[in-house]
Parts: sequence; C-alpha cells; structure tokens
Amino acid sequence: MEGCKAGDRKMQELLYKQTVSKMLAVCMRYAKDRMEAEDILQMGYIKIFQKIEAYRGDGSFEGWIRRVMVNTAIESYRKNLRSLNVVEIDEAYEQPSTGFDFGTLGMQDLMKVIQKLADGYRMVFNMYVIEGYSHKEIGETLGISEGASKSQLSRARAILKEEIIKMEGFGYATYTG
Amino acid sequence: MQPIQDKDFDQLFKNAFEDAEITPSRNLWSSIESEIVPKKKRIVPLYWLSAAAVLLIAAVGLLVYQQQEVKPKQFANHVELQKAKPIIETSPVSDSSKTITTPVRKVDQVLPSTTQHVEAIAKTAVKEKVRSLGSQKQVTAPEMQKQEIMIAKVEEPKKDIKAKIDEAILQSKDETVLASNANTISIDEVVGEPDHAENKGIRNVGDVVNLIVNKMDKRKDKLIQFRTDDDDSSISSINIGPFRIGKKSRK
Repeated sequence: MEGCKAGDRKMQELLYKQTVSKMLAVCMRYAKDRMEAEDILQMGYIKIFQKIEAYRGDGSFEGWIRRVMVNTAIESYRKNLRSLNVVEIDEAYEQPSTGFDFGTLGMQDLMKVIQKLADGYRMVFNMYVIEGYSHKEIGETLGISEGASKSQLSRARAILKEEIIKMEGFGYATYTG
Repeated sequence: MQPIQDKDFDQLFKNAFEDAEITPSRNLWSSIESEIVPKKKRIVPLYWLSAAAVLLIAAVGLLVYQQQEVKPKQFANHVELQKAKPIIETSPVSDSSKTITTPVRKVDQVLPSTTQHVEAIAKTAVKEKVRSLGSQKQVTAPEMQKQEIMIAKVEEPKKDIKAKIDEAILQSKDETVLASNANTISIDEVVGEPDHAENKGIRNVGDVVNLIVNKMDKRKDKLIQFRTDDDDSSISSINIGPFRIGKKSRK
C-alpha cells in the first residue's frame, strides 16, 4: 500500500491483481453486462491509484477500494441517466427469461438476474441490499425521493423473485419453504 | 409459490455477493496502467514546472539583488584597501613591534626560570630572524591577505627554521640571549625606520608568531591568530597579546 502511495508501478499492479476479481464482481452487479462492468472497473482503479493518498487507514483497505468502485459505478449510472434518458423499466421486466440453466442458485445466476434489472432498480437494489445504504442516502445520491427509492427496491425484489422462480421452478419454492 | 421474506431474500443476495470474485476476461491492467502513467506524468510536471519557475525567479532575483548590493561594497572595499594600505601598513608596524617585544621580554623573563621555555623562546627568536628573511623575500608577494602569506611562510621558512632551531638548541643560553638582543635591535630599527619592507616583515613576524603558536598549541590558538591580526590595529595592551589570548582560549 505504501508502494502504491509512492506510485510504485509494481506495487500498484500487485494491488490490482489482488483485488481485481472481487472488484469486478462488484462492478458486474452495477452493470448491464461484462463490458460495462469492466469499463467501470477500469475507471475505478484509475481513481484508486490517483486518490490513494486520501486513504488514511480508516477501515479496511479493501473496503475503501470497494467504496471507490461503488461510487464509480454510481457516477457512471448518473452520467448514463443524463445522456441516455433511459428507463423503460417494464421492458426489462417483460423480457423473456430463456437461456438460464436450471439448477442450484449460484452467484453467477443471481448476477445474471440482477444485470437484467433496469438500471434504476439495479442501482437501488445493490445500494440498499448489498452495500447497506439507507433509502435516504440512496435518494440523495441518485437524485430521487426516499419514497421512490423504497418503491423501486420493492419493485426490484419482485422482479428478481419472478426471474429466480423462472430459473428454479419448484426448486426455489421448496427452498423458501 | 410461497412468498419469501424480504430480509431472507436480501440475505441470499448478500451472501452470494459478499466474497464474489469474477476474473476479468481481458487484461485490463495494461489499459489502466497506460491511463495512470500519462496522467501522472502530465500532472506532476505542471506542479514541478511551476515550482521550478518560482524558484528560478526567486533565485535570479536574489542574485541580482545581492550583486547590486555587493558590487558597490566590493568597489568600496577595493578603494578603501588601496587608500588604507599605507595606514594599515604603518599600524602593524607599531603592533608587530610590540608583538616582537613581547617574546623578547619573555626571553628575558623566562630564561632564568626553565630550560624548556628557553628552548621554545629560542625557537621563536630564531624564527623571527627567519621571518625577517622570509618576509623580505615575500615583500613582493601581493597584498595583505594573511592566509596566503601565512601559507607561503609556513612552506618556505620551515627548513631554515628547523635547521636554525637545531643549532639554537645546541647552542647555549647566552647565544639565545644574544639572539633576543638582536631582535631588540631590529625592533629599534623598525621603530626608527618605518620602511615598507621592514613593515611587511614585521607584519610577517607577527603572523609567524601566530603560526608558531599554532604549531605548538594547534587549533585553539588559530583563533588567536585572527584575533591578534584583527586587534593589531587598535589596542596596544595586546603587546602581551598573542600569549594572553592563547591563555584565555585555553581557559
């Protein structure tokens, strides 16, 4: 880490190699696909190496890196929001869910389901469920109301459940009991 | 299809993604590295350039300022030196004569007391002779800068001094007394005839006395040299000066 602060290229590469797969998993949750995730990942690492001096040792280093990644993903989402003006949310909801392997629910499956979510739903779901943001924080960060954050979260959950049931069939129903 | 609790549902995802790892399909490091390098190289030089520019300006400004201040002073010094030369030359005459008188007195005082001191004094006396010789040689040597003169003396007279010291040591006390007498005579001459050559020689004598003190007492007394040289112009009580100052510094 000290080497990274000093700008040691080998230490930077070592840090990258030690953390990249975990960080890509973070970025994948926030992205539509792997391409977008890797773009976010790249931006995130550039930020990390530029701002590494700002890390003062509060909390774990990996936690700090993860936070930078998440912030980068959120930033990227907000930029896309402005430029694309997307959000035909129900389109994703209506999408046919063919092509999934039915079997045990692994991380890869959940990732696929999350990535299928509309961007807004995905952001709220990730931030609330995985990262632990409050609805207030999410609303402030994404520029939406707290109520909108809550409703989008419940909507995202509903879509995810439906997709998972499509994937698992009765297997998931039995799992839930 | 049973409804699942939101908490459990969330926990399912949380657990799945907590330590999730996905290896990147392509080598992203090279592109990240290429992004880091140019930015650093571009950003840092800007800071460095600005800092360097500020430093340069400051340095140049200081230099110019100092030169402007120093130049007139230097000229003034040169002028003062040239004008002051005769004055300064005359002033050391009296001082150096005084300094010379001191060893002579000491010779008289010390001779009865201890043989060691007598030898030392004999050395000084002999050296004083040598100095006068060396000083005449060095009369041509430029200017007042004491260090150069000192060095020259140190190199040249050494041989003669050693030889004469050996002779002096071998010789009896009476001869050293004679030497001191000779010195007193020379002092009288100096006092009576303030010639340039003799003046410089006397100066040299004073300097050489300091040199000898240095050789005997080493670094502590080098300070004495400077002090004596500096004080030469002003104070007469320093007749006993070099040795007294030496004692002070030893304390």
